[in-house]
Amino acid sequence: MRWFWPLVVSALACRLLLVPFAENLNLGSRPEVATPLTSLRRLAEGYWLKQSSMSPYAGSMYHGSPLLLTILGPLTIKRVHGQSSHLICSLIFVFVDFLIAMLIRAIGQKLVQSNCKNFKLLQISKLAKSYECVEAGDVASVVYLWNPLTIITCVGSCTSPIDNLMVVLTIYGACSRIAPLAAFAWVMATHFSLYPAILLIPVTLLLGYGPDSPPSKLFHMKNVDVTGTLVRVFSWRLIIQFAFWVAIWSCYILVLSSISLKGLDRLPEMWKKTYGFILTVEDLSPNIGVLWYFFAEVFDFFRVFFLIVFHVNILFMVLPLAIRLTHRPCFLAFVYIMVWSMLKSYPSVGDAALYLGLLVLFANELAEMKFSFFIFCGYIGVSLLSPVMHNLWIWRGTGNANFYFATGLAYACLQTILIVESVSTMLNHDRMLWKWLKTSTSSTPAAVQAS
Amino acid sequence: MASEKETKQGLAKKSRLIVRVGSFLVSHSALVSVICCIAGCVLLLLLPVLAKSTYVSENALMPGSATPMFSNQDALEANRLVKDIMRILEDGREMEIAQLIGKRMEDVGAEVYYHRFRSDNLHFNPLGFFSSACNMVLKNSSGCTSIGISSVGIIRAPRGLAYSVFSLLSRVVWLAKDIVWLAADSRHDPRSTGIDTCFVNKFHGEDRKFDGRTYDVFRRAGTMAAALVVKVIDKSERKERDRLDIYAEASNGQMPNLDLINIVHYLAVHRQGLDVKVGTFKYLQNSALLKHLSEMLSPLTKLAQSLNPGWKVGINSADFVEGTATLASSMYYQALGVPTRPHGAFRDFQIDAITMELSPRGRLTIENGASSFLLRGGRLIEGVIRSVNNLLEKFHQSFFLYFLTAPNKFVSVGIYMIPFALLVVPLPIVAAALFSTTESGSSATASSGVVAESHTWNWLSSANLVFNVHLWAVLVSLLPYLISQMPLMNSAISMLSWISFSLSTIFIFYLLMGSPNSYAKVYNWKVLKCVTIAAASIGLCLMSIINFSTAQVGAMLLVPLCLMVRPLKKPIQLSLFRRTSLQFAKLVLAVLAFPPATFAISKGLLQGFRSVGFGDFWEWSEFLWTWNSATYLYVTLVHLPCWVLCMHILLHP
Repeated sequence: MRWFWPLVVSALACRLLLVPFAENLNLGSRPEVATPLTSLRRLAEGYWLKQSSMSPYAGSMYHGSPLLLTILGPLTIKRVHGQSSHLICSLIFVFVDFLIAMLIRAIGQKLVQSNCKNFKLLQISKLAKSYECVEAGDVASVVYLWNPLTIITCVGSCTSPIDNLMVVLTIYGACSRIAPLAAFAWVMATHFSLYPAILLIPVTLLLGYGPDSPPSKLFHMKNVDVTGTLVRVFSWRLIIQFAFWVAIWSCYILVLSSISLKGLDRLPEMWKKTYGFILTVEDLSPNIGVLWYFFAEVFDFFRVFFLIVFHVNILFMVLPLAIRLTHRPCFLAFVYIMVWSMLKSYPSVGDAALYLGLLVLFANELAEMKFSFFIFCGYIGVSLLSPVMHNLWIWRGTGNANFYFATGLAYACLQTILIVESVSTMLNHDRMLWKWLKTSTSSTPAAVQAS
Repeated sequence: MASEKETKQGLAKKSRLIVRVGSFLVSHSALVSVICCIAGCVLLLLLPVLAKSTYVSENALMPGSATPMFSNQDALEANRLVKDIMRILEDGREMEIAQLIGKRMEDVGAEVYYHRFRSDNLHFNPLGFFSSACNMVLKNSSGCTSIGISSVGIIRAPRGLAYSVFSLLSRVVWLAKDIVWLAADSRHDPRSTGIDTCFVNKFHGEDRKFDGRTYDVFRRAGTMAAALVVKVIDKSERKERDRLDIYAEASNGQMPNLDLINIVHYLAVHRQGLDVKVGTFKYLQNSALLKHLSEMLSPLTKLAQSLNPGWKVGINSADFVEGTATLASSMYYQALGVPTRPHGAFRDFQIDAITMELSPRGRLTIENGASSFLLRGGRLIEGVIRSVNNLLEKFHQSFFLYFLTAPNKFVSVGIYMIPFALLVVPLPIVAAALFSTTESGSSATASSGVVAESHTWNWLSSANLVFNVHLWAVLVSLLPYLISQMPLMNSAISMLSWISFSLSTIFIFYLLMGSPNSYAKVYNWKVLKCVTIAAASIGLCLMSIINFSTAQVGAMLLVPLCLMVRPLKKPIQLSLFRRTSLQFAKLVLAVLAFPPATFAISKGLLQGFRSVGFGDFWEWSEFLWTWNSATYLYVTLVHLPCWVLCMHILLHP
C-alpha cells in the first residue's frame, strides 16, 4: 500500500495532538468509553488504596488485574509540567495502538499468504492475483488506526487498548504458530477480561491447522494430495506445547498477582472482585450494552436465572460456529470477539474498535457483504446519538433512561446484523469457491489455467 | 425458463407484507417524497390549529387557592425602597445600591453577603460546545448582593418589588422551602446572563478561587426547585391593563416545564388581571398573505369541528394569525439556541426558570398607579412561590418539549414531530431507491465474471468525498476562532477573511484529494447523492434531538435540496417547460439553502433589503458561538457540507 506509513504516522500524530485535550473532552468519564473494568480513574483509586496498605479491591472501585496496578498505577500519579496525570498513560496507549496495528498487519499478511498458497493449490490463479492486489493487512491496520472509536478509546483514559493488544497478540501468536507467545497472550487476555477464554477454540485450530483456508472438501474435490502438501494436517505437537505454556504462564501470572497484592488480599478474593464482578453484573451504571437496563428492571428472584441465560448465550454460540467455521479459525476468532463484544457485561467502544479493525482483514472474502452502507450509517448514527441521548437524560433532564437504552438496543441490533451478514457472506464465499471449482473441474484443466 | 419465472413469482408472493410495502415505497420514491414534503409543510402551517389549551398537570401546585398575604403595607414598603434607590441614583452614588439592598435584607433577618463576579467578554471557545460547565471566572468588578436564608427561587428586581415579597416571606414561618434573592448588578452586562451564570455555577459547586484565595464565604440553600427572573420595565405608553411578558426559551431550545408557565399565566390572568403576552413576530401579524390564508382556513376548521366536536380544531382567523406569529417566534428563538433573557443560566442546571417582564399601564412615578402595580406584581410572585412551595419534587408532570402559540396554548412534542418526520421520511426512501438502482446496474455488469467487483462497497469512494467535505466543514467552523484573535477587525473584514480562508482551504483539499472532475470519474453521482442524503438525514435526526426547532427549519431547506438535486448536464425525459422549471427550482433552492444567502434573504424580507450588510452573517454567527449554541454547529457541520455536496452533484459532468 503506497500511503501506508504516512497514514500510520499521521494517525499517531493525531492521537498525540489530542492527548493534551483529553481532560477537556472529558472522555474518561463517558460511559461509552470507560467501563468499571477499564476506567483509568478507578485504576488510580485502586493504586491509591494499595499505596495506603489496603486491598485495591476494598470498596467497589477497582475490578481489574493487580498486574495493571503495578504497571500503570505509578504512572497515574505522575504529573508532567502541570499536565494531566493521565498523560503518560495516554502516551503508552498510543504506543499500544501502534503495536496492535502492526500485529493486525502481520496477521493480514499471513492470511493473504495462506490464501494465495491455497488458491495456487486449487489452481484458481485469478483469485490468488486479486488477493495479492488487495493488501488486507495494510488496509486493516490503517482502518484500525484511523477508526474514530479507536482514537477515542486511546485518548479516553481507559485500559481497553491493553486488553485489545493481548487479544490481537493471541491471534498473531496462533497465526504464526508460536505456541509460547499465543499461550502468554491468551492467558493475559483471559486474566484481564475473562471473555477471551473462548478464543481457546480458534487458537487451537490455528495452531493445529494453520491460518484460514477454503473448506477441505474443495481440496478433496481437486484431488490435491492433502498429506503431501501439508494443507490440513492437525499438529498435535503445537497443541501440547500450547497447553504446557498455558500452564506455565497461568502459574506465573497467579504468582505475580499474589506478589503484587503484597498479602493485602488473597487470590480467591481477586477472582471474586474481577471475574465475579463481570459475571454477576453488579454495576448497573449505564453503558452502551443492554444488560445494565435489563438487570436494573428484573425482579431479584429472577436475577440469577437471567445471569445464567445471558452468559450461556455466548457459550451456546461457541460450538455451532466452531463446527461451521473450522476451516477459518481467524474468522472464527473475529466472530467470537464480535459475539462477546455484544453480549459482555460492560461493553465499550474499545471492543467495537477491535472487531471493526479485524473485519477489514477479511475484505477479500466479505466483498459481497450486503447492507454494508446501512451498517456504516448505523454505526455513525449510533455513535453520535449515544452521547446526545445521555446528555438529554443526565444533564438536561428532558429525556429518561429509555432514550439512552434505545441507542444501546439499536447498537446491539447493528452488531447482530453485522455478525449475521459477515458470517453468511463468508459461507457464501465458500459456496462460490465450491461452485467455481465444480465448473472448472468439469472443463479441462488447461482452460482453467488460461482463465 | 418458464419454471424459473414461476419460482420467482412464487418467491415474490411469499415475501412479507412489510417487505412488499417497503419495495413499493422505494419504487415510487419520487411520488412518496413529493406527497410527504407537501404534507409536512401543510401540517406545519396547521400547527396553530392543532394547539391545545394549557392546563396545570401537577395537582399539588394548586395555584391561587390561598388568600394572598401580600398587603398594601408591603406595597408601600416596596415603594419606599424604590424612592431610596432613585434618590441614590440621582446623587450618582450607584455603588451604594448594593449596600442599601443588603442593609434592608439584614433588617428582615436574612443572611446577606456580596457575591463578586466578573462580567467576562464571551468569546469563541471550540470546546465550549461540548463541555457543560461554563468557564466563567470570578473577579471583583462590582458588588452583587445575594442573600440566602430559609430561601429558594431567585427573585431579582430593581424596583423594590422583590424586596417586599422577600420581607413578607421572611415573616411566614410555615414556608417549606428556602428563598434566595439575587439582586444582580446588570450595569456591566445588559443581558445579565453572565452574572446569573456565575452565581448558578458557584451555587452548584464550582468554587473557583480568584488570585489564589476565595473571596466571601459562599452560602447555599438546597436544590433549586424553580427560578423566576423578575424585571420591571417603565414604558411610557399608556395601556388599559398592567402587562406581563413571559420569556421561556433557554439555551439550545430548552424550555422550562410547562407547569411553571401555566401557574404564572393562571395567577396573572385569573387572579391579578394582568395582560399576559409571550414573544410574537409583529410583521407576521400584519402579513396580508397570512390573513388571506387564515380567512380560507377558518371556515374549513369550523366545518371540521362541526363534523366532530371532539376534535376542537375550530379557530377564527384572528386567532390563527396571532397563533402563527407566536409559533414562528417561539420556533425562531428556540432554533437560535440562545437564551432570550437571563433565566437561561438556570435551565443549564435543570432548574425550570422563566423571566417575567412586568410593565405598568401608566408611569411608575404616579403614586397610586405604582402602588396598585406593585401590589399586583407582589401578589403574583407570592402566588407562584406558594405554588412551587407546595411541590415535593421538581416539576416533572407537564411538558418540556413544546411550542407556544399563545400564553395559554401549546403544541406538544407528539404533534410537532409529525411535520418534521414527514419531511425527513423521504430521505431514507430516496437513498434506498438510488442505492438499489446503482446496485442492480453494477451487479448486472459484475455477473459476467465470477470474481465480482465489490459492488456492495461502491459507496466507499463517495463516502470518502463526503468525509473530506465534512472535514473541511470542521475547519471552517474553527476558523472564526483564529479570525476573532486578530486585532482591529470589523464584521465585514472578518466575514471576508472567513470566506477567503474557507475557499482557500477547500482548494487545498482539492489539491490534496483530487479535483471534483477527477472525482467524477471515480464515483457515480447517484451513489454520491445517496451518501449525501444519508449524511443529511443523520445530521437532521441528531439535531432534532439536540434542538428540534433548528432541525425543523433546516429540514425545510435541506430536504427539498437533497431530494431534487441531480446533475444539471444530465438530461431528464420531460417536456421542455417542466424540465426548465425543475432546473430553475433546483438553482433557486441551491441559492436559498446557502447559509449566508438564507440569512441575508430572510433578513431582507423581514427588515428590508437596505438593512442587509456584508458582515451581518458574521455578527449572527458570533452571537451563536458566544452562547455555545448548537445551531452554529448545525449550520457549519451539517448544513454547509451537505450544501457543498449538493453543489458537487449539481455540477457533476
